[in-house]
Amino acid sequence: MLPYSLSFDSPWYLLLLLLVPMLWALSFRRMGVLGPWRRWFALGLRTLVMVLLIFALAGAQMVHTSDRLTVIYLLDQSLSIPAEQRRAMILYVNAAIEKHREHLDRAGVIVFGRDAAIEIPPFDDDVKMPLLVESLLDPEYTNLAGAMRLAQASFPEDAARRIVVVSDGNENIGDAVEQARGLTGAGVGIDVVPVRFDRQGEVIVERMTIPNDIRRGQPFDMKVVVTNTKTPSGSDSGAVGGRLVIRQRAGDQARVISDEAVTLPPGKRVYSVRQQIDAPSFYTYEAEFVPQRPEDDTMRQNNRATAFTHIRGKGQVLLIEDFQGPGQFERLVQALRLRNLEVTLRASDQPFTGLAELQQFDTVLLGNVPREHFTDEQIQMLVRNTQQMGAGLVMLGGPNSFGAGGWTNTELEKAMPVDFQIKSAKVVPRGALVMMMHACEIPEGNHWQKVIAREALKALGERDYCGVVHWMGQEQWLWGGLKVVGGNRQQMLARMDRMTPGDMPDFDPAMVMAQKEFSRIQDAAIKHMIIISDGDPSPPSRGVIAALVNQQVTVSTVAVGAHGPAESRVLDNLAKATGGKFYKVNNPKALPRIFQREARRVAQPLIFESKNGVKPTIRFPHEMLSGIEDPLEPIHGFVMTTVKENPLVEVSLVSPQPVNEKNATILASWTYGLGKSVAFTSDCGARWASGWTGWENYDKFFGQMVGWSMRPVGEEGNFVVATDVEDGQVRLVVTALDKDDEFLNFLDMSGTVVGPNLEPVPMKMQQTAPGRYEGAFPARDSGSYFLMVNPGGGKAPIRTGVSVPYSDEFRAKPTNLGLLEQLAQLAPEGGTAGKLVPSPRQPSEIEPMLAVNSFRHDLPKATSSQDIWFHLVFLASCLFFFDVFVRRVQVSFAWVPSLAGRVRDRILRRTPEAPKPEMIERLRSRKAAVSQEVDQLRAAARFETSEQSAATAAEVEELKPSAAPRPAPPRQEPGLAPGQEEESYTARLLKAKKKAWKDRENRQE
Amino acid sequence: MLWRGPILPATRPDCGDAGSVARRTWGRARLAVAAIAAAMLLCCGCGTDPNRIGRLQKVWGRRGLSDGRLQKPRAMAIDGQDRLYIVDMTARIQVFDRDGGFLRGWHTPEWTTGKPTGLTIGRDGNVLVADTHYYRVLVYSPDGKLLKTMGGIQGHEPGQFGLVTDVVQDPQGNYYVGEYGEYDRIQKFTPEGRFLLQWGGHGSEPGRFARPQNLEIDEQGHIWVADACNHRIQVFDSEGKLLKVWGSRGSGPGQLYYPYDLVLAPDNLVYVVEYGNHRVQKFTRDGRSLGCWGTNGRGEGQLFNPWALVRDSRGDIHVLDTNNHRIQTVRM
Repeated sequence: MLPYSLSFDSPWYLLLLLLVPMLWALSFRRMGVLGPWRRWFALGLRTLVMVLLIFALAGAQMVHTSDRLTVIYLLDQSLSIPAEQRRAMILYVNAAIEKHREHLDRAGVIVFGRDAAIEIPPFDDDVKMPLLVESLLDPEYTNLAGAMRLAQASFPEDAARRIVVVSDGNENIGDAVEQARGLTGAGVGIDVVPVRFDRQGEVIVERMTIPNDIRRGQPFDMKVVVTNTKTPSGSDSGAVGGRLVIRQRAGDQARVISDEAVTLPPGKRVYSVRQQIDAPSFYTYEAEFVPQRPEDDTMRQNNRATAFTHIRGKGQVLLIEDFQGPGQFERLVQALRLRNLEVTLRASDQPFTGLAELQQFDTVLLGNVPREHFTDEQIQMLVRNTQQMGAGLVMLGGPNSFGAGGWTNTELEKAMPVDFQIKSAKVVPRGALVMMMHACEIPEGNHWQKVIAREALKALGERDYCGVVHWMGQEQWLWGGLKVVGGNRQQMLARMDRMTPGDMPDFDPAMVMAQKEFSRIQDAAIKHMIIISDGDPSPPSRGVIAALVNQQVTVSTVAVGAHGPAESRVLDNLAKATGGKFYKVNNPKALPRIFQREARRVAQPLIFESKNGVKPTIRFPHEMLSGIEDPLEPIHGFVMTTVKENPLVEVSLVSPQPVNEKNATILASWTYGLGKSVAFTSDCGARWASGWTGWENYDKFFGQMVGWSMRPVGEEGNFVVATDVEDGQVRLVVTALDKDDEFLNFLDMSGTVVGPNLEPVPMKMQQTAPGRYEGAFPARDSGSYFLMVNPGGGKAPIRTGVSVPYSDEFRAKPTNLGLLEQLAQLAPEGGTAGKLVPSPRQPSEIEPMLAVNSFRHDLPKATSSQDIWFHLVFLASCLFFFDVFVRRVQVSFAWVPSLAGRVRDRILRRTPEAPKPEMIERLRSRKAAVSQEVDQLRAAARFETSEQSAATAAEVEELKPSAAPRPAPPRQEPGLAPGQEEESYTARLLKAKKKAWKDRENRQE
Repeated sequence: MLWRGPILPATRPDCGDAGSVARRTWGRARLAVAAIAAAMLLCCGCGTDPNRIGRLQKVWGRRGLSDGRLQKPRAMAIDGQDRLYIVDMTARIQVFDRDGGFLRGWHTPEWTTGKPTGLTIGRDGNVLVADTHYYRVLVYSPDGKLLKTMGGIQGHEPGQFGLVTDVVQDPQGNYYVGEYGEYDRIQKFTPEGRFLLQWGGHGSEPGRFARPQNLEIDEQGHIWVADACNHRIQVFDSEGKLLKVWGSRGSGPGQLYYPYDLVLAPDNLVYVVEYGNHRVQKFTRDGRSLGCWGTNGRGEGQLFNPWALVRDSRGDIHVLDTNNHRIQTVRM
C-alpha cells in the first residue's frame, strides 16, 4: 500500500465533477471531425484538465502516512527517588532503546524534577544517555505534568508518538492525569515504568516552633517535632539513635545552643529546649537530626527545620563596601556610631547570605560597590528588603557606583529615586563597545554567549554604541556594525537571542572589521572590545593590533576552556598589547560578571569631576538636611544620573554643574514600596568629598540621611503574632491589644509576604474575632517566608518569618502506583492502552523490564498533509496546452510502417525495394496539380454561359457525361469532393463577377 | 514524420502545397518550443549552474554517535584500497569503504582538551593523526593500533608543537608537520622522528603562514600548503624554499576563502576545498581556476563549511561536508 493518499479541504467542490458527463455530451459530437483516436485522446485530456481544476478548487492535499514511531522517555530525577534507582533508570533506557528501536524509529529522553529539560532530543539512532544527567534541574519537586507538556511539544510531526514515564508517581506540582488525558486525546501512547524501592527507615524533623512574644531577657521554650517512620519488626524495635543539634544564628554569628544524643522510637516525639535572648537582633534557629547510622535515614533533606524571632534594639545599619578597596568609609562609620547607630561593615565579596540575614538591619548602605560583586538574586533581595519589608536602601557614590558601577538596567535602579543613564548628548560623551563571540565549542556555548552579550548590553547607556561580531559562514556583524543602543536596545536583544556563532577560523578579519568600525565612530570617548574565545583561531596580525592601539581601543580577552584549561597566550598577549585585561575562565558561570565589568569601562563617562570643585546647593529642605544650610563645602566629583519623572522623588542637593540640573543630583530620596531609598552620588570623603570630612555638619548630614532611610521604629509588644504551616498553607494570626490589654478592633491591617524565590506572595488580613486578625497564603515552595504586617493607624509594622523546611518531595511516600496505573490505562485516540512495565525492586535487575517493547507499532500512524492545489493548477495548464495541440494539429504516423520495414529489412538483410526516383514523383505531383487547375478552369468556363445563379453539385455531375472529352481529372480520395467544394466556391465568385459586369453593361446601355 | 497544417480552412492558395505549409508551421512551432525551453532553462538558473564542472555521484553519512554515523567530521584521508578514514568531533576515527559502508573505528587516547583536525595515510599505509589540541602526532596502523606518538609538548622549540594541523610523509619517509597558534610553521623530521629543519612563521608575507591547515606532497617531493587564513596556496621544496604562491581572498573564480584542504591530481590539476566559500575549486597547478563545484546549503550538491577532500583511485572527489555531517562524492 502506498504511503500517500489524497484529501480535500473543501470537498463540496467535488460536486462539480458532475459536470464531466456534460462535458463529454457536448464535446463528443463536435470532436467527430478529429477521427476516433484523436477524439478520445482530446476528450481524455479535456476531462483530466477539468478534474484537476475541480480538485484544485476543492483544496486538494497530499496526505503522507508514516510508519515511523517516536518514543520519548520521561525520567523522574527528583530526590524522592534514591540515587541508585535514578542511575538504574538511565541504564534501562539505554538498554531498551538498543534492544527495541527499529531502523527509522526515534528515541529521546526528557528528565524532570520541578522543571523539565530535553536531555536527548528525538533522534533516529541508538542514543546512549550518559549516567550523569547534564540538564540542570530543581530536584526538590516532581512535576510530571510539566514533563509531559514538554514531550508533547517535542514530538516530530511525522511519526506516531509514545511517552514512557519512569517515575515513582509522587508528583507535587501539576496534574499529571489531566495532562495525560490531553496527550492520549492527541494520539500519544503512554507506557509507565513504576520506580519501586523499599524505604529502610526515615526520620523527619517536622517543625520547630518558638513563641512569638519573646521579650529580651525572658526565658522561653522552643519545641522540635521529630517523626520516625520506621515500623518495629521482630527483634528490631525500630528505634533510631542520633543527635539533635540546635543552632542559633544572628547575622553572621552562629553558635550551637544544644547538641543532645537522642533515641527516637517509631512515631512522633516532641523535644523542648529552654533558651533566653539578651541582645536585640533577628534570630534564626535551626534544628537538625543527625542519625547515628546513615542507613537508618534515607533522605537527609528532611532532617532540618528552622524558626525566626526578632528582638528589637537600637537602629541597625549594614554598610557594604568594595572588598577590593576597603577603608573608604571609616569616617562615615565613625559618624554613624556617634549617632547611636549599630553599624555592621561587610565586604562586597561576602555581603549577606539571604533575606533572613538582612532582617536584622533597618537600612542597607551600598558604599561605592560595583554591580558585578552581586548576583541577580542578591540585588533582588536588597530591593525586596526595601519594597516589601520596609528597610532603607542608600546608595553612596564613588567611581564604582550608580551607572559608573554598571548598575544600569538592574532591579536596584528601579528602586532608586534616580535613573543611572544620561539621555542628554551635551552632558556625557559616548562609549563604544564591540563584542567578538567565539565560544561556541564550550558546553552550552551559544547559551552563554547570549547571556553575556545581554549582560554587557544592559550595562551600556542609551547613547553608547554597541556591536557584536561573530562567524556565520564568514565574519559578520550581528546588526551591521556599531549602532547606538538608544532605540535599538530591544532589537539588539532580539538579535542576540537568535545569535548562533560558528567556529571562527581567524581572529584577524573580524578584528579588522571592528577596527574599521571604531575608526568610523568619531564621537566615542571610550572604545573598548571584548573577545571571548577558546583561543584556537589564527592570531591577529600586528597591523590590526597597532591600529587598535593607535585608535586607543582597549581589548579585553576572555579565554574559555573548550579545549581543556582556559589558557591562551595569543589572547593574553592581545590584552597586554592594547591595555585590556585577560581572563581565564573554566566555569562559564563566571562570564556574566566579567562582561558586566568590562562593559562598565564604556560606562565610565558618567563620572563628573572638577579640579576646582563645585558647591552643592540645597534644592529642597528635606528633613535629612535639617539644621544644614547653604553654602555647603565643595565636592570634586560625583556620578551623573537622571532624576526619575515621579512626584514622589525629592531632590535635596544639586550641583551647579553640569548645567542640566536633572543630571546634577547630589542627594535625592523617595519612598519605594514600604521602605525608603536614598541616592547620594558623591562619595563620603575618600576622593571627591574630601573637603567634607572636616566639615562640622558631616556627622549630622550623614546621620540624618541614614536615620531617615531606616525602618520605622515603634512598640511592637502589644501585637502577638502566631504562624502555622499546614498542607501547603501558612496561616498568620495577629492578636492586637492596646497598652491596657484591651482588644484593638477595626484596624486597617495589611500584610506583605516575600517567598523563598523573592517574589511577593499575596496575603489579605481580615478580622475574625475581637482583636484577632487572620491571613493565609500558599507556601508550596520550601524555604523562608518573610511577613510584614502593617497594623495601620500609624503603628510600626510587625515583622516575622516562617519556614517551610522541605518540599513534599521528602515526605517519604511509597510509590504512587495508583496514579501510575491510571496513566498506563489511558488509551490514545485510535490506539490501544499503554503498558505498565514490570519493574523489580532491585535496581540492578533490568532484564525483566525489557520484556515490554515500548517501540511496538500499535499506535495510530502519523499523517502529514501538504497543499497541492497549485501543482494541480499548473498541471491542468500544461494539459490544456496539449488539449489544444491535439485538436489543432494532426500527427501522422505513416512513417512508422516504412521505418519498421526498413528496420525489418536491415535485420533480415533483405534488399529494400528501390525507392521511386524523387524527380518522377515530383513531376507526377506537378502534373496532377496542373491537370486539376485546367480542369477547374474548364469547369468554370462551362458555367460562364449559364444563367443560373446557383448550380448545385448534383447538376454539375449530371452535366459531366455530355461534356466534351478532356484530360482525366486528378485522382481523388474516395468519399471526398474537394473539387466540388472549390468549384462551388469559384463558380459562385465567377457568377457574381459576371453578374456585376452584366449589370454594368446594362447600365451603360 | 509528416505533419499537416491546422484543420481550419486557413490555407492560402499561394502558399504552396499542404505539406510545405505544414512544414513551415512546424518549423515555427519548433522555434517557439526551442525559445520557451531556452527561457525555462534560463529561469531555472541552469545557465549559471555553479556545479557544472562536477557531477554528484553519491551523498552518504548521517549525523549520530553510533558506529557509521558522523558528528561534525573534520578530517579525512584515503588509502590505496579506497578506504576512507574520517575523524569527527567525538574523536572517533572511523573507516568506511568508498560507498560509505562502515568497516571499523577507534578513539584517540584522549579528547577532553580537543579533537584531531588532520588525517593522512603515510607511505607505509599507517594512519597519521594530527592530534591538534594535544600538540602531537599519533601514528596508527590501519586497523587502529597506536604505533607511535610524536611530540606532545607545547612550545616553539624544535620538536615541540603548537596546534598541529596536519602531517605528511615524503617519498623518503620524512615527516612534515604543520602547526598554528603563536608560531605558524612547518617542521621536518626524519623517519625516526629526529628534527631536521623548520620554516614559516606567523604572517602574511610569502613563505609565512596563517594556519597552514593542510599539507600535500607532489610527485617531485614538493610540499603544497593550504595557507588557510592567508587564503592562498604555497608550494615549497623539501628544504622549505618557497617555489610558488597563488590565491587571494575572495569568492570569485580563482579566489579563495579559507582553503582548508587540497588534493593533487594527474593532468597538472589541484582541487581545493574552501571552508568559507563552501565549495571545491579546480585549479591547474599554476593557480588558474578551471571552475567550482558546490554552494552553501544543506541540500545535495550543497556544502556547509567543508573541511576536507580526498581523491580515490577512480578519480572521484570525496568532500567532507562538515556541518552537514556527511560526505559527497563528485566526479569532476
